[in-house]
Amino acid sequence: MDAFLDSLMKWLVSTPINGLVLNYAWSWPTLESLHFLALCTLMGSLLIMDLRLIGFNRIIPLQAVHSLMPVAIVSFAINLITGLGFIFGDPHTYFANWAFWAKMLLVVAAGLNFLLYFTQVEPKIIKLGPNEPTPALAKAVGAMSLVFWFGVLSFGRLLPYLGTGGG
Amino acid sequence: MGFLAWLEATGLAEWVRSSTAGYPSMIALHALGMAIMVGLSLLLDMRILGWFSGIPLDSLQRFFRLAWIGFGINFISGSFLFSAQATSYIVDWVFMSKMTLVLLGAVTAGFLQPAVAKTAPGAQLSGGTKAVAGVAIVVWVVAIVMGRLTAYL
Repeated sequence: MDAFLDSLMKWLVSTPINGLVLNYAWSWPTLESLHFLALCTLMGSLLIMDLRLIGFNRIIPLQAVHSLMPVAIVSFAINLITGLGFIFGDPHTYFANWAFWAKMLLVVAAGLNFLLYFTQVEPKIIKLGPNEPTPALAKAVGAMSLVFWFGVLSFGRLLPYLGTGGG
Repeated sequence: MGFLAWLEATGLAEWVRSSTAGYPSMIALHALGMAIMVGLSLLLDMRILGWFSGIPLDSLQRFFRLAWIGFGINFISGSFLFSAQATSYIVDWVFMSKMTLVLLGAVTAGFLQPAVAKTAPGAQLSGGTKAVAGVAIVVWVVAIVMGRLTAYL
């Protein structure tokens, strides 16, 4: 694992992306600003969707809630791309930080939870009436989504303080 | 300046500055409150502008209330963070621009919440309400960018 990470880090810092992120004063703050903006729209859209999945706000039709999905997906894509920018820029700091790995583990958990939603929950709830209560699995998936993503946010913000430094 | 120097010298400010848990716990809560307030506000503003029109306008009130809870978390943790370096923050133009924009953002939410509430079911939102929602999106986006830049300038 260490040998793999070492060669991965060597490759990351050898790419032109590394230079792009490190050699301009505005690169890092720009990536951070985009990362923060997209995390806001991701959490905002998730709060509306997941609370409805859990069963709150049943006056919102399930189909309408679903119209927020593109916001969540685009927001996540922006965070993935800007996040990769940080890793290409400074892989050593992140890979040495346990809070980074905790955050990544939670991103993977959130991804698997989304897969569960996509394969098991969505096919069922599109058949429901607009204001019907949601099944137990939908409630669980909605609650787990909020737990995982707020965990991602917390570990992300605590990264510089919990692990071995870095931004 | 007397008050800010006093604030910075309090035990609370000292706790934020130098304890292990102080600064990190406040900065994490600050991000959490930000995500709730700004995230929901941006989505609500988009709804007011006509996106996601399947979401009924009368469902927005509860999200405005949730957004204010986020704002409360953000404001309280932000006050703690401010106390730690009050005298430097007050002369930092990036920080002061951010504060002005956050205040403006809160004013837009305070305007939009009752404006949406008093729109009759099925009725159109007024052009003025939509204009405020458009301004609010710009205000929040610049506030986030300024907040991030506070760490650099």
